[in-house]
Amino acid sequence: MGSSGEDLSDQIIELLPRLRRFARSLARNAQDADDLVQITAERALARADQFRPDHSVAGWLFGILRNAWIDEGRSRRRRESLLEPDMLAERIGDAAAGSGAELLCLQEALARLPDDQRLAVALVLVEGLSYKEAASIMSVPVGTLTSRLARGREALQSMLSETPGVPP
Amino acid sequence: MTFSEEVLMAYADDELDASTRAAVDAAMATDPEIARRIARHKALRGRVHSAFNKVLDEPVPARVLEVVRSHQSAPPKGNVMPLRPRQVRRWSWPQLTAIAASLVVGVIAGRLTLMRAGSPGPFMTRGDRLLAAGALAAALSNQLAGEQSPANPVRIGVTFRAKSGEYCRTFALREDGGLAGLACRAGDGWQLGVLARAESSSGGAQTYRQATSTLPAAVVAAVGERMAGEPLDQHAEAAARGRHWRP
Repeated sequence: MGSSGEDLSDQIIELLPRLRRFARSLARNAQDADDLVQITAERALARADQFRPDHSVAGWLFGILRNAWIDEGRSRRRRESLLEPDMLAERIGDAAAGSGAELLCLQEALARLPDDQRLAVALVLVEGLSYKEAASIMSVPVGTLTSRLARGREALQSMLSETPGVPP
Repeated sequence: MTFSEEVLMAYADDELDASTRAAVDAAMATDPEIARRIARHKALRGRVHSAFNKVLDEPVPARVLEVVRSHQSAPPKGNVMPLRPRQVRRWSWPQLTAIAASLVVGVIAGRLTLMRAGSPGPFMTRGDRLLAAGALAAALSNQLAGEQSPANPVRIGVTFRAKSGEYCRTFALREDGGLAGLACRAGDGWQLGVLARAESSSGGAQTYRQATSTLPAAVVAAVGERMAGEPLDQHAEAAARGRHWRP
């Protein structure tokens, strides 16, 4: 691996803030999101030889994070949908740490989307990736990504317009 | 010319090929409805993006950085980092005070789940404080722990004097998914000190009945920090109610 391994570590460190942002759109709280980022970094470093240099490191890492999130399993997310004990206190703590009510509100709304729509919204709206990049991370054709994104956005619009609006 | 919502969305995301884009541009010039729909897609995109952008400004937790850094300095082969056990969050009183100050934030975010549209809800804000309202306020003022039935919407747990003198009571709500918390007397009202989910998220009578024994850790911690001496017994509790909870 040698120096290319070193390069990869540096690139991962550089991308950690973005990985955390992406993870926050999938996990319900900051702790779980950072668990996902940690798992992603570990897996990426362990599988450095699988990285294809003609691909972007960011896309590769997003793909690993997405898989880790799926691996975490539906049982966990079912539990989350009911809110875990202390979750509210934890999320209030996150808010106190400066993430803001708007972020919590959007996380809450995103959590209500089906997984595939949530991923599409996370990759395109949160991360700002192109349709092509997002489709490649989700391993689906661009057309599939587009329709998931459209449905996710529509659901998000209607959820957010029902909320009374969050004061700044 | 009409366009599907997907095409207008792709326009907002700058994902259209040049000719479709030109067609949308032309249509937009004569149809304000198309412009409005595109603006709606752009607004949502902007809203989501800028909310999550705040995460970029947060410091990366040391435990995450450590995973990569230790890999950098370690021998190149056979180095598998064990995943650290998930840290259990323990709240200190200053932290809980900070939480209380920002409680209203959590309540707003929780509104999607907690509050049915149109109902007044168990909380209200006054300035930057969160106060009990409605059935919760009534229960805190009037209900004695020894005289409550499962039909009550609020279950009162322990009552005690805080180190600063005022009376405080723990409570659990039967509705709203089993929220539990601590409220302390402030003037004629009850100020919320901490609020958390009850241990069981399955809800229902079981959670309600066990509410005192399964208070969320955050609430238990807050009680421990605040309480002076022992919890009130039923006579002291009734006497305090008789004095309208004045110290």
